[in-house]
Amino acid sequence: MDPILEVVSVMGLATVQDAGRPGRMHEGIPPGGALVPELFGRANQAVGNPAGAPAIEWQGAITVMACEAPLVLATDEGRPWVAAVGERFTLEPSPSSAVRYLAVAGGLDVPEVLGGRGTLLVARLGGLSGRALRRGDRLSVGERPARDVIPPVARVGSPAAASTWAPEGPIRVVPGPDAERFSAASLPLLLSSCYRVSPLGDRTGTRLVGPPLGRCDADSGAPTPMVRGAIQVPAGGEPIVLGPDHPTTGGYPVIAVVLSADHGRLAARRPGAEVRFTAVTMEAAGRLAREGRAPTERS
Amino acid sequence: MSELSLVPLGDGAVRFPVPAEVDAAALLERLRAWPGVRDAVVTETHAAVSFDPAAPPVLEPAALLGLLDDVCRDRGRGSPREVAIKVRYGGEDLAAVAAAAGLSPGEVVALHVGRSYEVRLIGFLPGFAYLGGVDPRIVLPRRPAPRPRVPAGAVAIAGPYTGIYPMASAGGWHLIGSAVDFLPFTAEAGAELRLGDRVRFVPVGP
Repeated sequence: MDPILEVVSVMGLATVQDAGRPGRMHEGIPPGGALVPELFGRANQAVGNPAGAPAIEWQGAITVMACEAPLVLATDEGRPWVAAVGERFTLEPSPSSAVRYLAVAGGLDVPEVLGGRGTLLVARLGGLSGRALRRGDRLSVGERPARDVIPPVARVGSPAAASTWAPEGPIRVVPGPDAERFSAASLPLLLSSCYRVSPLGDRTGTRLVGPPLGRCDADSGAPTPMVRGAIQVPAGGEPIVLGPDHPTTGGYPVIAVVLSADHGRLAARRPGAEVRFTAVTMEAAGRLAREGRAPTERS
Repeated sequence: MSELSLVPLGDGAVRFPVPAEVDAAALLERLRAWPGVRDAVVTETHAAVSFDPAAPPVLEPAALLGLLDDVCRDRGRGSPREVAIKVRYGGEDLAAVAAAAGLSPGEVVALHVGRSYEVRLIGFLPGFAYLGGVDPRIVLPRRPAPRPRVPAGAVAIAGPYTGIYPMASAGGWHLIGSAVDFLPFTAEAGAELRLGDRVRFVPVGP
């Protein structure tokens, strides 16, 4: 029998996600991908999967069980374990990240839809039937990778691979492109204020609560191209940072854009967490991108 | 155009303005084929290309200006695809649109049917095509507060655009009908309409 990962219970949003659907933004299809690519990559790496293998992204708590055959599982903590058939594992939320990841050796075997396997809720496609996971769902598991990742008993419980990744600290942005649509005080205000993550955010964007940013035009309504990390400012002035499932165009002006390397650091913050921004030049941003990116972030 | 203002959208994309005379479909295809470009989006006013920040493509303003000149010359040369879409008129806002425009609902329908529209951009939702060419007599601002749920297939107008909601979503446009036998987006084929397509609406009975 083919191995199955069963969702015994789930609290909060849980979906199947992968490395995204690049190359289809001109059809209005967002890039997708994990909210926190670093944690997603760590879970897959721990079970020996290729970097973008489909895994579960969850917010609250989830209980899973292996059916038909044992499975090798790992969360974003990076420690693989063997799940015997019928044994239940309840995975709790993390105090340090708004979302967590569960990878299974072989990856979740969900069909490829429009170039990706991740769930795009707004279009009800990808993942498991285009929807969030619920109790009783049975997910097929792909073929196990050749590399044996099951650690010897002595290594179980050893710390996860050392990582310099940490969500805390300032979020780096490149100012622009719509500087002329803001009052002169707005960018300095963005860079000197403390915002907090609103509970209203989702995979389309992180909403921030804090000092409103003044704009000098009404909503022009003319849509312009958007990207993940764009800091949109609606008429009310409170910024929204676009996430992986963002609309591909939008009419609100963009005051700055978060660096790719910091997308996950922002998305990992739980509601109420502090967010401060710091500006970097394009030259510095390019240097950081060439030097600092982990291979798991590539899509 | 003699200068091009190429501005960063973070470290993974750049944006530049596009002149009104451009053949948007040709521009999009040329940008998507540009070495190192992962994604390209062209709207009525701007174009943006996305890429791997660790390996940005070579995008010199002079080369992009040359490209824009080429695709401005292309405009009108190709023959756009023509798409006829059946509509059952009578959406929730038809009466309100008529009242705001000082027309009868039948006149609003006649004005909406009587034009050929062009796909000016695709965005907001997967497969959502902004169709330009709405009769100025029924150009209205969006609704003051968006509806939490507009059904899939709703035909709507807002400002200079008309469009068809590809999936149920929140939306602030005025609903004047629903498309019949037409899905703007499917999981199998993606977006049905493409930049530059010409669209006509054909009224069908209730």
